[in-house]
This record gives sequence, structure tokens and C-alpha cells, in this order.
Amino acid sequence: MSSVMANNKTTNKAANPTARQKGFAIDLKTWGPFVALVVLALLGVLINPAFLGLDNLSNMLTRSAFIGIIAIGATFVITAGGLDLSVGAMAAFIAGVMIILMNSLVEQFGAGLTTVLFGIGASLLLGLCAGFINGIVTTKGKIEAFIVTLGTMGIYRSLVTYLADGGTLTLDWAVRDIYRPVYYGSFLGITIPVWVFFFVAVIGYILLNYTRFGRYCFAIGSNEKVAEYSAIHVDRIKTMTYMLQGVCVALATIIYVPRLGSASGATGVLWELEAIAAVIIGGTMLKGGHGRIWGTVVGAIMLTMIGNILNLTDAISNYLNGTVQGIIIIVAVYLQRASWRKTGA
Amino acid sequence: MPTIKTAVATFATTAALSTAIGFSGAAVAQEVTIGVSIPAATHGWTGGVNYHAEEAKKRLEALYPDIEITISTAGTAGEQANDLEDLVSLRNIDALVVLPFESGPLTDPVRRVKDSGVFVTVVDRGLTEEGIEDLYVAGNNHELGRVSGEYIRERLNGEGDIVVLRGIPTVIDDERVQGFQEAIDGSEVNILDMQHANWNRDDGFEVMQDYLSRFDNIDAVWAQDDDIALGVIEAVRQADREDELFIVGGAGMKDIIKRVMDGDELVPVDVLYPPAMIATAMDLTVQHFVSNGPVVGEYILGSPLITQENAEQYYFPDSPF
Amino acid sequence: MLLSARKICRSFGDNQVLFDVDLDLQAGEVHALLGENGAGKSTLVKILAGYLRPTSGEVLLEGSQRHYRASDEAEADGVVMIHQELALAEQLSVEENIFLGRELRRGLFLDRRAMRERSREALAELETDVDPRARVKDLSTSDQQMVEIAKAITRDVRVLIMDEPTATLTENEVKVLFALIARLRQRGVAILYISHKLREIEQIADRVTVLRDGHLVDSGPMAGRSKEELARLMVGREINEMYPPLTHLPADAPVVLEAREFLVPGAVKQASFTLRRGEVLGFGGVVGAGRTALLEAVLGIRAKSAGQVLRNGQPVVLRHLRDAVRHRIAYLTEDRKGKGLVLNMDLRSNVTLLNLRAHCHPLIDRRREEHAFQEAIQRFDIRLRTAARTAAELSGGNQQKLLLAKVMSIDPEIVIINEPTRGIDVGTKHQIYHFIHELTEAGRSVILISSEMGELIGLSHRVAVMCAGVLTGVLEGEQINEQEIMQYASGIKGVGVDEQRYG
Repeated sequence: MSSVMANNKTTNKAANPTARQKGFAIDLKTWGPFVALVVLALLGVLINPAFLGLDNLSNMLTRSAFIGIIAIGATFVITAGGLDLSVGAMAAFIAGVMIILMNSLVEQFGAGLTTVLFGIGASLLLGLCAGFINGIVTTKGKIEAFIVTLGTMGIYRSLVTYLADGGTLTLDWAVRDIYRPVYYGSFLGITIPVWVFFFVAVIGYILLNYTRFGRYCFAIGSNEKVAEYSAIHVDRIKTMTYMLQGVCVALATIIYVPRLGSASGATGVLWELEAIAAVIIGGTMLKGGHGRIWGTVVGAIMLTMIGNILNLTDAISNYLNGTVQGIIIIVAVYLQRASWRKTGA
Repeated sequence: MPTIKTAVATFATTAALSTAIGFSGAAVAQEVTIGVSIPAATHGWTGGVNYHAEEAKKRLEALYPDIEITISTAGTAGEQANDLEDLVSLRNIDALVVLPFESGPLTDPVRRVKDSGVFVTVVDRGLTEEGIEDLYVAGNNHELGRVSGEYIRERLNGEGDIVVLRGIPTVIDDERVQGFQEAIDGSEVNILDMQHANWNRDDGFEVMQDYLSRFDNIDAVWAQDDDIALGVIEAVRQADREDELFIVGGAGMKDIIKRVMDGDELVPVDVLYPPAMIATAMDLTVQHFVSNGPVVGEYILGSPLITQENAEQYYFPDSPF
Repeated sequence: MLLSARKICRSFGDNQVLFDVDLDLQAGEVHALLGENGAGKSTLVKILAGYLRPTSGEVLLEGSQRHYRASDEAEADGVVMIHQELALAEQLSVEENIFLGRELRRGLFLDRRAMRERSREALAELETDVDPRARVKDLSTSDQQMVEIAKAITRDVRVLIMDEPTATLTENEVKVLFALIARLRQRGVAILYISHKLREIEQIADRVTVLRDGHLVDSGPMAGRSKEELARLMVGREINEMYPPLTHLPADAPVVLEAREFLVPGAVKQASFTLRRGEVLGFGGVVGAGRTALLEAVLGIRAKSAGQVLRNGQPVVLRHLRDAVRHRIAYLTEDRKGKGLVLNMDLRSNVTLLNLRAHCHPLIDRRREEHAFQEAIQRFDIRLRTAARTAAELSGGNQQKLLLAKVMSIDPEIVIINEPTRGIDVGTKHQIYHFIHELTEAGRSVILISSEMGELIGLSHRVAVMCAGVLTGVLEGEQINEQEIMQYASGIKGVGVDEQRYG
């Protein structure tokens, strides 16, 4: 059947277009987040040599794990053209339920591994359900993700405040001692949260780039109609991105709870914006259709690094921390976007 | 109420006025509605305020059947201004107990409440204009800073390196830091750095982690707030530097007071800034209506140092804070 | 000479798409620009209208050199282009679109009345009944086209560039457009007219220029040049047979697909049809007769209120396009940009999107995917003359071939093709007709929805005709001719006629 279509073939000289001729401009577009991270790190060293200390680097990476893991989930949601504002409140809510559950299980199972495992299981289940609710209401209810997740954000935030009676929920001390290594422990010199972050990133990378699910996310985010006409179950895939986001939030919560052993209405405030910022700094398009996992990882580390560097210096007035953060975020994104004008059509 | 015991009250009574009117009856027979407007429980201390307000409402309503108390909580200053309007127009209140979200923006809304003939009690954060409120009940932020500073100065024998974690940039935070600096002024106590930890555990943890990697020797930490202090404790534990320093928080959270009671070396003392002041204010407001004379003036609650010896009287195991 | 191009070259990266092209436009002439897709026509006119800058060469307006940096500078000179892809703000009204960016004002405020009046005049001149207050998104494609033209004529236009203006218009609208072009010509406007329809060009063009692979191959008066000659110049070879012969259909060819009693709310009132193995079933009718709605409902893309589908005689339930794919039915949409291709996605991923499963075990095998893509490039003759990284950068014809490659990736037994040659050059059309022939020769069946009468007549074994949601009849053999199809399409003949007249 191939004969006719090919019979008047002219020279197919550029069948393998190379990106080489695009030169430096395209490099910055791809490597922008990484360049920004390196520049920021150099700045950190200049400001205070303690920045490169092993402890400091370890602290920083460990801290970035929460936002980083959540942001990896957000990369999928945003790539598929959605948005999840509820992640911060969801984390607080899951943390609250985990603590209450584990505290109440102490009587039955004692302060042992079983109790902690139950807590972890409950966290994952809750994350999955919360994501499913966001997804199903968005897709089947045909309501903008912004509104749905703004709503669930308020719901989870007030639920955790209610559970804590307006105060703070604190994990039983004995359970805490068993659970503590999940945040403070390390393996091969690298802390557990960093390992979790790493594995989530690797799995996220494979999911996004090497599975149908990931490819479908790109297609849906670019053009839902085309996805539908490509025999893709659009609603199903979109709901799955929210569920994946929920699981990521649950994982982040699992490593967050042992850090301070508490949850309150103030837990995870503004995490949603930090996660979205990390995703965008990493080169994912907020309007969907284009996403990069490693960029998100770099974005999350960068956000934490800014705070860390500001804590390492007293050269800048504390009152101006927000200004510095804002400028760095905008410059980091500008670095990637500016080149688009030259290379774009 | 233990807090009343510790109140250093400058009581400007206007008893003369009441006798002049010659109004010597028993408790008012008619019903009195008191509106209480407080910030929502967004962090530990305001959580405590909510708890104590609810407790006081239960207690006072049981005690005085003619008194009805309505509590409303607001997430922002604007929301609180709306709440005040609603309390006047919908609830028809006779008295208002308000813990303003922020002093500036709420001064005018409170004045309008006052103008409609309502008895006004302002708690904790003074209005920017004088003479609006009938009754003012507050903690002393300046003193909290001073007491903390004096303790640290004394404990270090006037010499040492310390770090400070500040709250959310507000007047409250400024007053505390000012009092603290005045107290250590002239000594060899050296502040290595001050950073904002926003009265938040996570921020306290992260800021302290960075202090610990930046400074090899820290003799004391002034965390200013018990939520921050809890984050600081975890960071110090992680770095295994518990033996090198001690931490001074503030407010009187039950977890911290428990540690003080138990003689924790890391947290030897706490400085009181009680969320129960809302209950004090409600008590006094009710007194205004049920006692013979009007209750007006200023009640400034002190910020005593809580030590292992006196910790028990500040310990409320049932409070969320 | 009103507008001239001299030795225009243009490259995208390493790839040169225009080579020393000259073009002269005189006031009061209709100048046709011909060429296959990817020949460089669009690039050339974009340079003339200020959307692109030439790599070398110059643009002259009345002899003086122009360096347009943006389209508004060209428009200020009276050089206006009507896009092939309509560039209208969908949520705004017709009049707001017509005056977008150059709103009439009275003092600080918009002069809505004046704008409405002038819009009404312009639309009246086009003999269209579009309401200036209607929202553009509620208009049909052809009406939107009229708005684009109205937008251009309300400007002080001296050179009007029209890129494929009739691709989405009905016969009648085309007549109106041609009358308008004649009037503009009389006013002294120079018209540069890009079209693939040689019959139209023969009708209206004064002069003609032909491009092939970025080179100028012919330019001169239309008089004395035949359609056949121009087609040969465009393609660079003889096109002898436009339509391939029909595949012989045995009398006992089995029915592979049957649709019974379909009802689609708001679109289809009554329709049943059958499709046999090796057959091309054409679907005729005017735009909006319900052909697309019917077939999309059969495929499960659109909700139906009644109807049954039988595949090889067995009842099947198709709720989602995925179900149709499972039954080896493929659908080529008419809206290749809105529904067919992910424009900002790379070409390879576009081709494999429909049948990604085949490249997953369980992770996507990039090597196999690339292999499949290279095969598709060969098989469907997709020409990557520019270093196109995304589907958006391809020319219309190549996009269509890319879409065809995507749809064929599931190796379907039944292919439903919707308007396959809209906005496509002669050469590619020819390729697509032969491709349909190959399909039926290989025992596949094809359903062809087309608004081009010639296509329906030339390619179909049978033609089903729809009118206002009713399948009015299925024509066979001698019945398949233009008059007959028109009569069924307008409801003069066929099933359900009485209901419509009196119901």
C-alpha cells in the first residue's frame, strides 16, 4: 500500500531535523533552571562559606523534599492542564488524621511499628481519596479545577483546625521515637526524605516520559479535544493525575509528621503556591501541555535554597526576604522564556 | 483564674460617677448580650484564645442566666470589621469584647461600635487612637521581651553569644524585641543574628537549622514564642547540641510548661503571655453589668517568668495550647 | 507597479524555503499565486504583509523600499492579509472584531454606533446576513470568513492578500466573494489570491505566478495558460488521472458496518446505513446537514438518543472512541488543527498517539516509536523541508498526511474520512485519492464525508445524502451525479421530505 503515497517523493533531505543550529538560545531554555540553581549556589558560597557545609547541604535537600515531592505530583496535574490548590491543606489534614489515628492505636497495638505502619497506610489511602474527589468533581462536574481545589483547600484547612480544636495535634511521644528516623535517619549518608524525594522523582520521570499515562497528560494539556479524538479517556487520565498528586501529598506528609510530630491549622500553609512555583521554575507551562520532572526537582531545591541563603546572611533586611525571593523566581523563569522569542515561530 | 492573680492592674475606677447617679440596684434584670470578636485559630496562641473564650462563655452563661455571649472568629482584619458590623446590627449587642486582628485597620470599625452606645473592651492589641474603649485588657509585650532578656543575661553571667528568632513582622514583635534589647544592653551578651520565624514551628525548625550550621557556638536561643521554641528544640536535637545551649520561648504553651515543670535542661523557663487574657476581659466585662459600679480602665497583665517552682499553676492540660 | 518583491530569499535555520523569488502586483488586477503545499506561498505572502522578514531581497511599494517589522506597518500602507487560519477573537462580537485594534472613538469613549453602522455596510456589501452584534464563536466557519473579509475591506485597502479564501465557503458564498473581488478590482485594489482550486483561478485571475519548492517556475497572464498546464507546473509532472478507478465490488461483499435508526439530539433525526467490505460510501449534503454528527455518534464520540451499531453483523456498543478503535474503525476528523493533531507536540508523538499501546511493554519504547515514525514518513510522503519540531510548523498538506499516518497507525478495517482535501493542493489531493483506492483494493472499507461534489462522484460506490438531519437517500450507479445529489441534499427528493415540508 506504500507505493502510491511515496511515488512522487522529492528529496527528503531534512528528515532528521537537528536542534544544533538553534545555538545557545535553546540551551538556556533547556538548561535555564539548572543554570539558575548553579548561580544561586555560587551566590550562597560567596555570602557564607558555611553554605557548602555537609550539614547545611543535607538540611537543605531534606527540607526541599516536602515541596519537591508535592511538586512532582503537581507537574502531572499542571501538564494535563489542571491545577491543585488544595495540596497544602490536604497535607495538614492528612497529618492531623495520621496523628489522631496513631495516638488512638497506641492503646491497641502499643507504641510499635504496627501503629506507625497503620498511620502510613491511612495517609496513602486518604491522599488517594482526596485526589480522587478533586479529580472526579473537576471532570464529571465540569467545574474549573481552580474552583474545585480552592473549595477543597478551605474544607481540609478547616477540618484540621476542627480536629485540633484550634490548637495543635501532637503525636504520642513513644510513637514519635519509633517514627523519628523517617525524617532524621539516613542511609549511605543521605537522609531518608532525600531518598524518598529521589525515588519519587525517578518514578515521576519514567511515568511522565516513558508511559502512555505521561504522554496522554501532554496531549490533554495541549488540547483536550485532540486527546478525545485520539481515543484517550480524558476524564480518567485527568482524575488519575489528581490521585497521583494526592499520593505525593501523602508521601510528603509521611516524612513531615516525624519532623515535629505535630499538625495544626498552620501546617502546610502556602505549600500549594510553593509547589506550583517549583513546577513553573522548572520549565513546565502553567497552561499545560509541557512538563519536566527534573526541572521541578531543581525548582523545589531552588526555592528552599533561597530561604536558606537568606538565613545565612544578615546583609539583607529581614523585611525584604519576600522581595529577594520574588526577584529570583521571576529571573529564573525569565531565563528560560526570554529565548523563546528568538527560537519560536 | 490564676491569670487574675498575676494581673498587675492599674485600676482607674470611676466609682464616684456611679454613686453620683445613685444607681444602687442588684444585678441587672434585663438581658445583656455580649459579643466577642477574636481572630480565627490560625496558630497555637490564637487557638488558645479560642479555647479560653469558649470556656469563659460556658462558665459565665451558667453563672449569669441573663447574659448571652456570642463569639465570632475572623480570618482577616477585613473579615473582623464585617463581624463587628454584624454583631451590632444583627445581634444587637450591649457590650463588645474585641481582640483586634491588627490595631490600625480596626480602630475605626471599633469606634463606630462604640458610637452606637455599646460598652467596648479591647484586648491585647491597643487601638491606634486613645479613648475609644471603656476597658483595656492586655499583656505586656515589652515586658515579655525584658523578662526574657534579663533571664538570659543573668543565666549567662552577662556574657555569651545568642541567636534570636522573631515573630511575624508586627508591632507586637517590635515591642518584644525592643524590650529584650534594652534588657541585655550594656552586657557582653552578643546577638549573632535575628531572623523571622513567624511564630511557626516549621519556620523555627528551619531557621534554627541554618543558625546551627552557621555558628559553631551558641550559648542561648531566644525563640520569643513557644511554637517557634518547639521547632528550635527539634533542630537542636537533630544537631546533637543540646548540652551547649538553652532556649527561652514565650506565651505559656502546655507542652513547654510541662517541660519546665519536669526540669528540662534545654528549656529551663518560659515567659507568660497568656491567651487566657480573653477570659479575663470577658469576666471584667460581665462584672461591669452585674456589679454595682462600672468597671472601666486598663488592666495590664504581667509577663512573669515561669520556672520549675511555679510552673504548675500555669499548666492547663485540657487546653489545646 | 504597486507592490513588488525582488529576489526574496528566506531560510528557517539551515533550511531555505524561498530562492530569489520575484513577484509584481499591479493596481486593479487579480494575481493568483499557485503552488503545492510547502512550495513557499505562505512564507512569501507573510513577508509581503509584514509577518515575516526576508533573509535577503527587498519589498517595494510604488518603487520605494519597505522594511516592515510587523504586520501593522504593512497595514498602515494598505497591505492587508486575510489568513487561511481565521484570526478572530471568538468571544467578541462581529463588529468588535472588525474594528479590533483600531476602534472608532468619540472623545474617550467607543463610538459603538458608528462602528455598528460601518460594519453593517461592509457586511451588506458582501451580501451576507451576519448580524454585527453576533458573537463570532456562534458563527459558522463560512460566516467567520465573511467577517475576515469585511474586516479587510473596512480598512483603506490597496493590496488584499487572500490565502485560500474559499476553502470553507459554500458555492453560493463563493459567488458572492467573486463578485466582491470584481468590485474591489474595479476600485483599483490589487488582489493576491492563493488557491488550490484551479477552476476558480481560471475564472477570476488576470495573472498567475507558480512556485515549486521555493523557486519561481512561471509567471505571466492567465490568458493562454490552461488548467492542465498549471497543474503540471505546480507538481512538476503530469497528472493524468485525477480519480483512480473504483475497486470492483463483488455482489456478495459482506456488510462490515451497519448503523440502524440513529437519533442525535439537535443534529440527526433519522438515519440508517450499511457499509460493505471494499466499498467507498460517500456522504453528501450541505454543511450542517448532520453528516459529521451522525458518524461521530456512530463512533461513540457524541451522545445519541437512539441507534444501534452492528459490526460484521454483530451488535456492538461504542461508548468511546477507544471502543471504535478496538473494533478497528478509524476516524479522520475534518478539523485537523482543533481535533486532529496536538500542534505543539513533536511529530513522532503525534503519529503514535492513537496507538501508543503498540509501543508500550510496559514502558514506551522510544526506538520502536521512532522506527514507526520514520516508516510513516516514507509511507505517507510527509515532507520535512523545514526542520519542523512540532506539528504546528508543518504546511497544511503535510499536517493532513501526518494525521492520516496517525489514524492509519491502528491498521483499521474501516476508515471514516471527513473532508480529507480541505485546504490542500492538487498534488496531495491526488495522493489521498489514490490512498483511498489502495485501501479498498486491500479489502478495507471507507466512509467519505465530502463537500466537494467531484470527490463524491469520482470516488464513491454509493453516496448517502443528508438534509437537515435526515438521511434522505442512498444513491447508486447512474444516480450518482451532481443534479441528483443536489436534489436529495436540498430535500426535494427522498425520505422524510414530507415530514419536513409539513411537519
